[in-house]
Amino acid sequence: MRLLLVEDDALLGDGIRAGLMLAAYAVDWVQDGKMALLALADHSYDACVLDLGLPGKDGLTVLREMRSCGDQTPVLLLTARDTPEDKITGLDHGADDYLTKPFDLGELQARIRALLRRAGGKAQPLLEHRGVSLDPASKRVSFNGQEVPLSAREYALLHALISQPGHIRSRNQLEESLYAWGDETGSNTVEVYIHHLRKKFGADFIRTVRGLGYQLADDA
Amino acid sequence: MTSAISHDRIHSLRWRLLAAIGAVVMTTWLLTGWFSYTKAQHEAEELMDGSLAQTARMLLAIIHDNEDDLVELAGRLATVRGAEDIYEPPLEFQIGRGDGSILARSPDAPELPILGVAGYSDIIRHDESWRLLNAVSDDGLYRVQVAQSINLRDRAALEVAIQTLLPLVLIVPVLILFIYLSIKRALRPLERLAGEVSARTPDNLAALPEQRIPTEAQPLVKAINRLFVRVGRTLDNERRFTADAAHELRTPLAALKVQAQVALLSGDTPARERALQQIGLGVDRAGHLIDQLLRLARLDPLNAPPENQAIDPRRLIDDCVAAIAQALPGSTRIHVELPETPRAIMGDASLLDIALRNLLDNALRYTPSDSTIRISLRQSGTSSHLQVSDNGPGVPASALERLGERFFRAGQAAGNGNGLGLAIVARIAELHGARLAAENLPGGGFSVTLQNLRNTDG
Repeated sequence: MRLLLVEDDALLGDGIRAGLMLAAYAVDWVQDGKMALLALADHSYDACVLDLGLPGKDGLTVLREMRSCGDQTPVLLLTARDTPEDKITGLDHGADDYLTKPFDLGELQARIRALLRRAGGKAQPLLEHRGVSLDPASKRVSFNGQEVPLSAREYALLHALISQPGHIRSRNQLEESLYAWGDETGSNTVEVYIHHLRKKFGADFIRTVRGLGYQLADDA
Repeated sequence: MTSAISHDRIHSLRWRLLAAIGAVVMTTWLLTGWFSYTKAQHEAEELMDGSLAQTARMLLAIIHDNEDDLVELAGRLATVRGAEDIYEPPLEFQIGRGDGSILARSPDAPELPILGVAGYSDIIRHDESWRLLNAVSDDGLYRVQVAQSINLRDRAALEVAIQTLLPLVLIVPVLILFIYLSIKRALRPLERLAGEVSARTPDNLAALPEQRIPTEAQPLVKAINRLFVRVGRTLDNERRFTADAAHELRTPLAALKVQAQVALLSGDTPARERALQQIGLGVDRAGHLIDQLLRLARLDPLNAPPENQAIDPRRLIDDCVAAIAQALPGSTRIHVELPETPRAIMGDASLLDIALRNLLDNALRYTPSDSTIRISLRQSGTSSHLQVSDNGPGVPASALERLGERFFRAGQAAGNGNGLGLAIVARIAELHGARLAAENLPGGGFSVTLQNLRNTDG
């Protein structure tokens, strides 16, 4: 799962990024509105954490421009303003959720999980498919009731696939959900992690769709 | 309690007016009363004297023709007693010949010789006062003395005078009441105004209505309205500043909280140490923000620099440069340009020091680490221009105008400043009667100038 963080404050941005990476998200961090729009145009993100008080182009403008060009990325607003009007304006401009500074890192992570869950069209917190169940809150994965230890990358890859099981994910999409900018990527790392997952959940758990990418196998 | 009330009354317009008008009315009334009283008394006495004279002449005329029947006549005349009425006092008389021998007299007449000088006189006889009139017939053969008791005369005069005064006495309370009501009525708009003002809260500083207010109170209402405007503006500024300050503190607090939680959650030591270091930085920054907020809050109520002395600009600049020298990134250079013999600047040394440090701090913060920062002082006869410029990326043109605003951050290199540095400089400039001018330099770079600082005379 890859997130875009738009936060101008160096310390806060750094902290949020570190906190989200602890939850096994790939995080791209930009510090102003213009960069945010460029990043959104170039990559597909599963969610965006957007500070309202940005220098230059402020958060509301970014949000409006995102929505006006059809960008559906779930957006969680961060702001120092806490009046109901501020919240209403933010939500009416197309934000999906709202957090007032200072906030709890755990709450931010939980709200992002909820955003991702809703974006995947699900209400239950557990993501399940063919006996594999993934709990985004605890980052635990089990197979037929047995807990299966996964590395952070394996977990991120499984999370990307299992959040919308029917969808076919291209190799590039999967790579994007694994790595933020500046992370080192090997040329065939996605294949390596797919291989690891197949070993743990059965060879037929992930189907290769030739020329398109990967998909979880249909429910048996 | 009583003294408080009487104190209130001394300051109450209504009571003062009432007392003043009451005093004037009472004085006028007493004078009028006294005048009317004495006048009425005098007129009554003249009337009664007239009636004495008339009586005397009538007696003389009667005697002249009836001397033989005088004894019988005297008896008859003595019965012509007035009714028991002060306006018709008993007639007392003595009738005699020109030589003073008495022919007849009324029984209660004072026993006096009738040889006195013709005319009026007041005498006391047996503890009783009398008004006498001695008269002589034209041929000098007969004399008549008529007398009235002064006691009775006075009672009659008093009665007349009192009748004159009575309406005056009755009219006074009515007059006072009328004056009281008029004053009360005239002061009602003021009471309404006072009620309106005292019902105001700091949230409701709308102007008081200036219609239906007496002309005399108009200046007061206008002054109050002007005060309301000023207070409202100050209050708005304070509220905005407090709200802004609170919001500005939220971001560093959020950063501290998130970094602390990252430190708690991080499994590996380097990540935890990094988060802890970030917390240290965050505390420094929050501290800096609070310093700047306090500085602004202390500058806000001032109208002029706390001190105004001659400052050697060379020393001011050298001190600031020395102070930031340790914090200077390795390759950044500071270049100072001064006139050969700079003239002293008038102002508050510590405030100008803060201003210059903030400018240098900004220049360092927003330029790459290998920049050149230039401090230059240009002086004309009476004014000085202190400029700090750099060769950094400058500021977006749209942001130039807003640079001195509180909490405004220009677009680039964001995330470090708190948007207060230049606001503080602008406020210090304002206190010194100077102006803050920011511009992007044509060849690239950015400059801020404190324009029109005042030089010492001569």
